[in-house]
Amino acid sequence: MLALLLAPAMLFGPAWPAAAQKPPATLLLGNPGEPETLDPQRYNLRLEETILADLFLGLTTFDEHANIVPGAAESWSVSDDGLTWTFTLREGARWSDGAPLTAADFVYAYQRLLAPETAASLAYFMYPLANAEAVNAGRQPAAALGAHAADARTLVLTLEKPYPYLPERLLYPTAYPVPRHVVERYGDAWVKPEHWVSNGAYVLEDWQPQAAVVLARNPHFATPGLDAAAIARVIYQPLSNEQAAYNRYRAGEVHAISSFPAGELPSARRDLADDLRLSPLLSIMYLVFNTRHAPFDDARVREALALAVDRSTLTDKVQRAGHLPSPSFVPALVTNYQPVAEPAADLPRRERLARARELLAAAGYGRDNPLQVTLRYVSGTETKRSNLAIAAFWNDIGVRTRLHQAELKAHFSDLRQGNFAVAMAGWFGESNPEHYLGLWKSDTGDVNYGAFASRRFDAHMAAAAEIADLERRNAVLREAEAIGIADYPAVPLYSVMVRRLVSPALGGWHENPRDAHPARFLYWR
Amino acid sequence: MTTPAAAPASIGPRRSRGRFLLRRLGWSLLTFWVIVSAVFFLMRLAPGGPFDGERRLPPEVEANLRAAYHLDEPLPLQYLRYLGMLVQGDLGPSFRQKDFTVNELVAGGAPVSLTVGGLALLLAAGFGVAIGTAAGTRAGGSVDRLLMGLSGLGLALPAIVVAPVAVLVFAVLLGWLPAGGTGSAAHYVLPPVALALPFVAAIARLTRGSVAETMSEAHVRTARAKGLPALRILRRHVLPLALLPVVSFLGPAAAALLTGSVVIEQVFELPGIGRYFVQGALNRDYTLVMGVVVVYAALILLFNLLVDLSYARLDPRIRLDA
Repeated sequence: MLALLLAPAMLFGPAWPAAAQKPPATLLLGNPGEPETLDPQRYNLRLEETILADLFLGLTTFDEHANIVPGAAESWSVSDDGLTWTFTLREGARWSDGAPLTAADFVYAYQRLLAPETAASLAYFMYPLANAEAVNAGRQPAAALGAHAADARTLVLTLEKPYPYLPERLLYPTAYPVPRHVVERYGDAWVKPEHWVSNGAYVLEDWQPQAAVVLARNPHFATPGLDAAAIARVIYQPLSNEQAAYNRYRAGEVHAISSFPAGELPSARRDLADDLRLSPLLSIMYLVFNTRHAPFDDARVREALALAVDRSTLTDKVQRAGHLPSPSFVPALVTNYQPVAEPAADLPRRERLARARELLAAAGYGRDNPLQVTLRYVSGTETKRSNLAIAAFWNDIGVRTRLHQAELKAHFSDLRQGNFAVAMAGWFGESNPEHYLGLWKSDTGDVNYGAFASRRFDAHMAAAAEIADLERRNAVLREAEAIGIADYPAVPLYSVMVRRLVSPALGGWHENPRDAHPARFLYWR
Repeated sequence: MTTPAAAPASIGPRRSRGRFLLRRLGWSLLTFWVIVSAVFFLMRLAPGGPFDGERRLPPEVEANLRAAYHLDEPLPLQYLRYLGMLVQGDLGPSFRQKDFTVNELVAGGAPVSLTVGGLALLLAAGFGVAIGTAAGTRAGGSVDRLLMGLSGLGLALPAIVVAPVAVLVFAVLLGWLPAGGTGSAAHYVLPPVALALPFVAAIARLTRGSVAETMSEAHVRTARAKGLPALRILRRHVLPLALLPVVSFLGPAAAALLTGSVVIEQVFELPGIGRYFVQGALNRDYTLVMGVVVVYAALILLFNLLVDLSYARLDPRIRLDA
């Protein structure tokens, strides 16, 4: 195989990046799409987080197993009320142009994030900071924001309410520092490669839209565990089409890809066993009911449809992609937390179906008056199969399902506007229960797609939001989850299994629930 | 003896040609404006907006975004603002590719699309005419039947089928050529071939019919009777006439090839403007889609204009002032 892959490289010379050449000077990584920006305060996509985590270093960061560890800050302390967080920056930390990195750079970045004219779509990630929401809405001046530099190495963040998950929130690029001296000099053009300055393990060397984002090692980067990245150059290529990504990996043109078609899993298991990396992702895929209108304003109908769904048949027999069935809305991977499963999760399917039929009959549906629903989903071959299976589950209790597919944008636009009856949705990302349960709060806005509202649930969420102690806070959240799930605002289905192909020549790659693989931890074996 | 093709084309008085050009230009500009306007308003009708992402968008944040891109203004004002910028050659900022202007994106992508399209046009014309001539001069024979059978297959197989199969065979299985992306000449082999294939077939069939017909004409029979060599007859007396319909087909074909790489660019992950067209539409990146439409519309109108002009030059029966 190796000889076969080398042949074209010799034919066409070094211009064509040949992944199989030894030793590869450049690491070629597939990213699932083109970044829309590399400005950390204006970013929006997960695929941008991947690149930005190589370019910048926040106060906190990942270790190679994606645990949260000190980053640009060497340590921090929290006041007893949980409202004041004091971070001490590492001594001698520098930007890639050699300028010192100071607490003022963080203050500048956070004020920039929340300034209305920056129009940052993820500005709300930093709403835990005192007055952040008011600053973002233009009601308060930037100086009112709860972020101040006590001295060059001491950053003080004051919060609106206690938020024990702050170290995790600081992992997002929205909390990365930006070089004030460069941004103010070049304006929006500071992100161009020729002006680029950052504090991560790499700097931006070049960016050809739709072709390549080229990163080069930052000589000024140093953390206690790691003085410099092992690999000198990294190129991210946008591979939005999974099949194309799979082909290019097999042709030896990239060293790692972020996904490939589920249908190729059996052949990958057979032919690429050493390259295949499966890892469960912090995520929940679920069906959401629109509780605004009949029939799903009736909790009995929601429960009936939830009971009829057979999660393990869906994941193991239909999808066959390794996804993990999840009977709880908060994924099992969330740490320091025991998720609450659906009340009838352990009942055998026959009993679940019998109970579902009773509930439907009580709600006035039966053989003569069958319940008819429209199930919406994002178009795609894999999603179609999954949704056909759900329609079949519901057929078992006499529900007639019409499937309605739409492309991603239109789908979520409809969901946000409440223009649906029941639909497939998903939520990704954090290792804290609030991230997921927050979707069910009545004041959450349009991502509470089904406009679920429960006074008891809201009261528990509000109570949890006042608690600084992580353990006590999570205990109250657990009560909230139990109240919420018993009302069936949604049917949790599964947590996503990420399937990647990674060159066996690449060391330092560890599967983790955030699917985060900063290039600075990678090396050639 | 002179063939009709060699006769001087009478295009009419110079003045009427100028008037014709002006009139056609006027119509082209009008068409251009209609296309730009239609696409502008159609894009706004699509559900969703450019700022819908993977995550929550609180109302105050969305208000900030809409203000930054003037989307909070009334639609007619946005439309006039866009036309005003367009007149100055400014295609605006991309709503989604925030670090680039649409001008930068189009300038980066157009060379890729035009290279693929241009190479495909050369392939289509060269191979199409050669195959068609080979078949046409042997009309009814077994070579003719074989070549026409193959070209029928080429016509029936769209690029969306040919391209992935070509990648599988030549990149994944044989490893001769890259599966996608850019970077070297090798990256520009499979995409133009896959794009050109149906056009090779179409031009071959057109040429074959025309050559076969011309072969049976009196002046060709005369030339044969005089004992002229077969190649000379072909070159001097058959092809100039037989290629008339082919040349007129090349106009729309060129436009189709230069703009038709949308599918090819997706399959081969090429950084051309065809991809922006698809992604821009899916992302509701209004300015990016408009920018690509402006380029495509200008190209297509230009080729139509060239074809109209060349019709008159090639065929004296067409009068421009009619």
